[in-house]
Amino acid sequence: MSGGYNEIHPEPTTFWSKYIFSFDHKVIAKQFLWYGIFFLGVGGLMALLIRWTLANPGVPVPLIGNILFSGSGGVVPPDTYAMLFTMHGTIMIFYAITPILIGAFGNYCIPLMIGARDMAFPLLNMLSFWFAFLSGAVLLLSLFIPQGAAAGGWTSYPTLSTLIGSPGAGQTLWCVAIFIFGISSTMGAVNYVTTVITLRAPGMGYFDMPLTVWGLWLTAILNAIFVPVLGAGVILLILDRVFGTTFFLAGASATSGSGDPVLFQHVFWIFGHPEVYILILPAWGIVSDLLSFFSRKPAFGAKATALSMTSISILSTLVYGHHMFTTQMSPLLTQSFMTLTMTISIPSAIFFANWLGTIWKGSIRFDSPMLFSLGVVFVFGLGGLTGLHLGTTTTDLFLHDTYFVVGHFHYTMAASVLLGGFAGIYFWFPKMFGRMMHEGLAKVHFWGTMIPLNGIFFGMLLVGYGGMHRRIYNPFIYESLQRLIPVNNLITTSAILMGFFQLVFVYNLIKSLLSGEKATNNPWEVGTLEWTIPSPPPHHNYDIIPVVKCGPHELGNPNLKTGRDFQYQTEELVQA
Amino acid sequence: MSTRGRSELQINLATNIVIISMAMLFATLFMGYAIYRSSAPVWPPMGVQRVSLLLPSLSTVVLFISSFFCYQVSVSTKKNELSKGHKYLNLTILFGVGFMVLQGLLWNQMKSSGLFVSSGIFASITYAFTWIHFAHMVAGLLALLYLKKILKPETVNLLTKTSSVENFWYFLEIVWIIMFITLFVF
Repeated sequence: MSGGYNEIHPEPTTFWSKYIFSFDHKVIAKQFLWYGIFFLGVGGLMALLIRWTLANPGVPVPLIGNILFSGSGGVVPPDTYAMLFTMHGTIMIFYAITPILIGAFGNYCIPLMIGARDMAFPLLNMLSFWFAFLSGAVLLLSLFIPQGAAAGGWTSYPTLSTLIGSPGAGQTLWCVAIFIFGISSTMGAVNYVTTVITLRAPGMGYFDMPLTVWGLWLTAILNAIFVPVLGAGVILLILDRVFGTTFFLAGASATSGSGDPVLFQHVFWIFGHPEVYILILPAWGIVSDLLSFFSRKPAFGAKATALSMTSISILSTLVYGHHMFTTQMSPLLTQSFMTLTMTISIPSAIFFANWLGTIWKGSIRFDSPMLFSLGVVFVFGLGGLTGLHLGTTTTDLFLHDTYFVVGHFHYTMAASVLLGGFAGIYFWFPKMFGRMMHEGLAKVHFWGTMIPLNGIFFGMLLVGYGGMHRRIYNPFIYESLQRLIPVNNLITTSAILMGFFQLVFVYNLIKSLLSGEKATNNPWEVGTLEWTIPSPPPHHNYDIIPVVKCGPHELGNPNLKTGRDFQYQTEELVQA
Repeated sequence: MSTRGRSELQINLATNIVIISMAMLFATLFMGYAIYRSSAPVWPPMGVQRVSLLLPSLSTVVLFISSFFCYQVSVSTKKNELSKGHKYLNLTILFGVGFMVLQGLLWNQMKSSGLFVSSGIFASITYAFTWIHFAHMVAGLLALLYLKKILKPETVNLLTKTSSVENFWYFLEIVWIIMFITLFVF
């Protein structure tokens, strides 16, 4: 099963082996990309339905309302509303962000950027995609069964997720889908970790790897360790729902000996907090690289950035309790978790300062990947800072379960990861497909995303601070919240606008794919290994395995006499 | 690094990552068990009988013998005595299956003594943990069958592959021993 290091696999010839059950990491990456973009659309549509309901409670959804909710005259019914926010969260986290950032970029970038011909285990790689596909199919299926999909929130806390809270098969299918997805993620993680350790090109030390690879590698390590924790949780939940065990049932519903609903919260967040970093680390890596590439400067403190990402990965495993301050935890524990959470600020501040140090006095090229990267710097800054309020016990007790939380985690997990993902797509599209994306449309897409995005998520911070709770079908039956209707309208208008501008992206994507300008080998003039080979790369990537002689960010070296302002990683570092 | 050394390293890494993943799954289960048990006033809960130790003890012995034969497989493979290796592998599989049969008998016995899956947290833990371990035993058995198929002189990296399967089998044995001690003995 293991791929030999130097052997060139024969190129597949049939349609099935070339495009469907392909072992080639580049094809699998594209499969993950389309998969992720499809689910991004589905999850985005759900977000719009949620927003419509919050801004206009009781008003039929325009255009699609009568088709989707014919029973209620086009209005989103309350139980469907619960399914919508549950599935929106699940789909966006597991089926949109994970496939695009980890599945697509992980598969595409890791072997190309470290100078390998493929992943260490190509067959496992293919299985990873098809398990993800199966999982997505199960999840989509659950939307169409009687009593509908899971409706207990993406966190699926018991008792909402036990048979008492959600009697239908939807929640069970949700658990099954998540479990299968966990298997797929673990397979991917096995591959990524092994590939990075064993298949780096000769001469490439760990600190010669681009930071993108660092981010993806750390993500894979966290994935391998913490996804099984959620796996155990959902297995027990399935057993509770199907076989009548009582792990998460307490009180009268448990006949003899009591289960513990809060245990699921512990299990969920032991997984869930590392998961936050699983999602954001690849985006951090991509942005750390792109900021350097488009500032035409070496990445400021690249080693420190890599090490801070590493220490954040380690710290991320020790802070999960801050999600549970309101579960009657011992104050001693809340204080410990609070202190550990605050400690994450230190490495975060280090690499954030490094980002700013990288662009400081650079000759910045404002191409679309750079715009999106700068967007990440801005929104991640906001997301990180609002995290301080939620990590502190005293303020969290007030803000817990409000839209402030929703705003915060959307800034970190949704906005920054989405913008980071777009940056990556615009940046590697020429390498992936051999064509350039339309730069003008990309800029329209950036501003059309960036401005409404802040309208949405900053608005959420405001209404949350104003006291609006999450997951309420119609918050405005509470008189005290009626003053928040105008802000909610602003959020919804921004969401619709942002949704519209994503159509520009889809148009650009399809148009560029079909008739975009042909890309040269190295359109962005950067020196990492993947830009030394043709766009798109041949089946076996490298005719000769490259030998690495310098780091990935050698830009703007004053000693360069080649007429270029950068040098390839295969070239000896030019010195005075 | 030589190509050979590299692919050996790959197999070892992959096996270890898989074992770490599965260990995390079981660690989560045991963490839950520790919480249930430490928060219960008495254990087993009122009105619940402990499971008789006979079948679990027998299972432990059988699985231990199976692991011993598994160790012999890698010893013979290292000495390049593959026919001996096949013999020991058959015994490993035989005792592995024996363990699984004993698990089936255990469930039957628990049922006939009135301990059903739905009779509370004690039963939930006992059934669920043994089921989940059983599912991993099935995977382990498949790994042994895979080893049976590749145990030939022309297989590349045979020693590494053998020791991978071997380590996985030991891992299942260790998990069972922890379960035996915490679920049945104490």
